Amino acid sequence: MGSEESLISEEAKAAIGKETKRYLGEVSLQDLQRYAVTVGETNPLYFDEEYARKTPYKGIIAPPNMLSAIICWGAGPVEEELNPDGTEKREERFPLKVKRVMGGGQDLEFIRPVRPGDRLTVTTKLKDIYQREGRTGPLVFTVTENLFTNQRDEPVLRCTQTVILR
Amino acid sequence: MPAKQVFFEDVNEGTELPSLVKKPTAIQLFRYSAVTWNAHRIHYDKDWAQSEGYPHVLVQAHLHGAFLTQLVTDWIEPEGILKKLGWSNRRYAVPGDTLTSKGKVVKKYVRNGEHVVELEIWEENQNGEVCVPGTATVVLPSR
Repeated sequence: MGSEESLISEEAKAAIGKETKRYLGEVSLQDLQRYAVTVGETNPLYFDEEYARKTPYKGIIAPPNMLSAIICWGAGPVEEELNPDGTEKREERFPLKVKRVMGGGQDLEFIRPVRPGDRLTVTTKLKDIYQREGRTGPLVFTVTENLFTNQRDEPVLRCTQTVILR
Repeated sequence: MPAKQVFFEDVNEGTELPSLVKKPTAIQLFRYSAVTWNAHRIHYDKDWAQSEGYPHVLVQAHLHGAFLTQLVTDWIEPEGILKKLGWSNRRYAVPGDTLTSKGKVVKKYVRNGEHVVELEIWEENQNGEVCVPGTATVVLPSR
């Protein structure tokens, strides 16, 4: 296989710049505290309302990187709709000739705190898709911008995410 | 205000953050997958991970990011505010690894009345190899 072969379909290239908006769901106190416990957070900002009220955040908030760490909101797909490796068949949105997916990193801008009971919507825009030669073969990088807004239409988090596919 | 609060005046270029040591376990990875509704087998199915050439299940990219987030928020609490945080996943990690998150101040300035501090942050493994480099911007209280 020639290393110059493009793994990026024309359909995928055509998806660059397109915006989609979808409702995600509500963040509960239980969700955010389970997230904090799992990470190993000990900051009372996530657990102690009285403490949190005295901070500049004025109440319990979700750990800052929680929203953009959630892979799937709501009920999610039934098992038959997942790939054999358990990932969602998301690439159908912009078909790529790749098999494996991994997180490449995120740039997060925290605009407003997210509180228990907030109902979130995300506006997603594919910013770029490009191919690079990796140590073990070609890699495809997708760069996506996700703007999360709350039930008052206020932006809370801007996340620019890189995903690596191979 | 608790004595531990770090103020804008306390830091300079090169000031180091207290390190945050994490030893991720298979239980932690399972619970992180569960709480983020992430069904990717590479994080909980060792046979699957080995079939892809890895020695064990992999620490989630976002969990590396969560460790760096905690490094910064532990340092600035209770009065500091996290404005920005970014990271790149460069090297994988598995249960049994010791991941140490570190950081240092690269710049401080006052803008629009806010006392802004920019940080270089990174997470390295027990061999001193950087798994995840990153940056963060915080606002600290001023005396």
